[in-house]
Amino acid sequence: MKKEQKILADLKDVFEISGKVKAEKRISIKTDKKHVSSILLYLKTQKGYIHLNHISCVDFIEDNEFEMVYIIWNPKTKLTVLVHTRIDRKNPKMENIDAIWDQANTYEREIREMFGIHFPGLKGRKEFILEDWQDIPPMRKDFDTQLYAIEHFHSRPGREDAQNVREAIQQRSKEEIPEFAKKYSRD
Amino acid sequence: MSKTREKETTLYLDPQHPGITGNMMIKLKVKGDTVIKAETHVGYLHRAFEKLVENRNWLQSFTLMCRFCVPEPDPMELTFARAVEKLEGREVPERAKYIRTIVAELARIQSFLLWYGGQSGSSGLYTLGQWSVGDRNYILDLFEDLTGARIYHMYMWPGGVRRDLPKGWIDKAYKTMDYIEGRLDNYNQLLFDNAIFQKRAQGVGIIPKDKAIEWGVVGAPLRGTGIKHDVRIDEPYDAYDKMKFVVPTYEGGDVWARALVRRDEIKQSISIVRQALDNLPEGSYYNRIPNPMKWTVPAGEAWVKTESVRGEIGFYVVSDGGNKPKRVHLKGAAYTHGVTVLEKILPGQNIADVSFILNSLGVCPPEIER
Repeated sequence: MKKEQKILADLKDVFEISGKVKAEKRISIKTDKKHVSSILLYLKTQKGYIHLNHISCVDFIEDNEFEMVYIIWNPKTKLTVLVHTRIDRKNPKMENIDAIWDQANTYEREIREMFGIHFPGLKGRKEFILEDWQDIPPMRKDFDTQLYAIEHFHSRPGREDAQNVREAIQQRSKEEIPEFAKKYSRD
Repeated sequence: MSKTREKETTLYLDPQHPGITGNMMIKLKVKGDTVIKAETHVGYLHRAFEKLVENRNWLQSFTLMCRFCVPEPDPMELTFARAVEKLEGREVPERAKYIRTIVAELARIQSFLLWYGGQSGSSGLYTLGQWSVGDRNYILDLFEDLTGARIYHMYMWPGGVRRDLPKGWIDKAYKTMDYIEGRLDNYNQLLFDNAIFQKRAQGVGIIPKDKAIEWGVVGAPLRGTGIKHDVRIDEPYDAYDKMKFVVPTYEGGDVWARALVRRDEIKQSISIVRQALDNLPEGSYYNRIPNPMKWTVPAGEAWVKTESVRGEIGFYVVSDGGNKPKRVHLKGAAYTHGVTVLEKILPGQNIADVSFILNSLGVCPPEIER
C-alpha cells in the first residue's frame, strides 16, 4: 500500500495530524479542528483530492464531543482520505468549508439542523429537512424518540393500553408469560 | 416585449410532478418561460431511519436499509451489509458474491426501465412508460420468486444472501434477460430515434466536464460528460472483478448524453447477469452471523461505496462494539445532484425542461433526506 503510505507521510510532514492506513485505498487521519480546512484545501488543490464524497457527524455524548468526518477522494489515484476532528459538545462550532466545495453547504445545513452545530457564515435557509421543529436537534443522542412520540401523539381510542401489548394481552387472557419473554431483548 | 414577460415570478414546482420518483419541491424564480433561480426544498420523505437504527440491533437495522430508496432499494442493503462485513472482517462465500452481483444488476435493469418511463414521460411521451413499467414487472417477478418481495427484498444481508436460488430460477432469469434484450430495439425506435426527443434533450441541462467531479456529480451524469468513473471498476466488490463489461461514456454533458449512457448501460447489465449465471460457483450462500439478539459488531468505522443506477452511493457506519449501530449515514448520489448541481444548471433553462432535467440527473428525493 505504497500510495496510501506516501500520502499519509506527506500529510504528517505538512500538518499536525495523527493517522494510519486503515485498509486498501483508505487513509484515516485525525487533527485539531483548526487545521481541517487547510488540510482539505491542500489535498484538493495540491494532491488531486477534488471530489468531496461525504461530510458526517457522530455524537460521542459519552466524551462530551461531536466528531466531524470529511471524506474526500482522488479520481486519479482512487484513494480516499477520511479527516476526523472532535468539537466541544457544549458549544459546538465548526469552520464552514463551502468556499472549498459548494456542495458542503448542503451537508453543513443538515448537520446544523440535526446536531445543532454552528457554522459561522453558513448561508441557506435554516430549515432543510425538518419543518417548524421546536425540540432539541434530533440526531443528538439525548433526543429520545420514544418519549417524543408519547408526549406529542395520542393513542387511538381503544388502544390506550397498547403501550405494552404483552401486558395488555396477558391481562385479558390471564395467561402466564414465561420469564424470558417478559422483556424485549433490546431493553 | 410585454410587461408580463419582463416580470419576475415565483413558481413552486410542487412535490408531486413528473420529474422524479419521490417528492421534492423546487422554488423557481422565472422571467417569462426562463428560469432565473432555483432552490431545492426537501423534507416530504424524511423517515428518520438514521435515528431509528440507533435503537435497533444490527439485524433490525438492516431491514430498514432498503427503504432509503424506492426505485432501487438493493444497493442500499448491499452497501450496508458490506459495511458491517468490513467492520467484522467477515468473508462472504463465492456463490453469495455471484448471487449478489446478479441481484444488483437486475436491480439496475429494473431501475433503468423505470427511468425510461420517467424521462420520456417528462417530455410528453407517455407510451414508453407503459411499456417499460410492464417489462419491469418480469424482473420484479424474479425478485418475488427469490426473496418473497417485489420491491424491498432484505435479501443481501451481512454474511451473504438470505437463501439460495430456488429451483428453476436460473432458467427463468436467462429467459427474462432474453426478453428484456429483445425489447430494447423498440425503446430505441420510440425514444432515441425520435426527432422530438432528440431536439428536446440535446443541449439542455449541460454539466460542464471540467467542473463535474468537483461539483460532486457521479454515475451516468458524470459519464455523460465524458468522464469514465464507476465504483464497480475503481473498487470492485462481490464478483465484479471477474465480470467483463464496458463503462460507456458520451461527451456533451447534456440530457441526451446522459440518456445514451443509460441506454448502453442496460445492455452491459444484461451481459453481466448472463456472465454471472454462466459462471455461478457451487457452495455456500451464507457465512452465518451469530444469534441476532446477541450479535455485537467490533468497534470501528467503515466507509463503503457501491455503484447504484443513480451513481456512487456510500455508507458511513460507526460501531462502538455494541449490539446497535452508533451511526449509520447514507450518502446518496441525489444528495448533490438534487440540490447544488440542480440549482447550478437550471438557471437559463425553460420551465418545461425542469422536470426533464431533474429526471436526467436521476434525482431520488428519499435518498436526499432519508
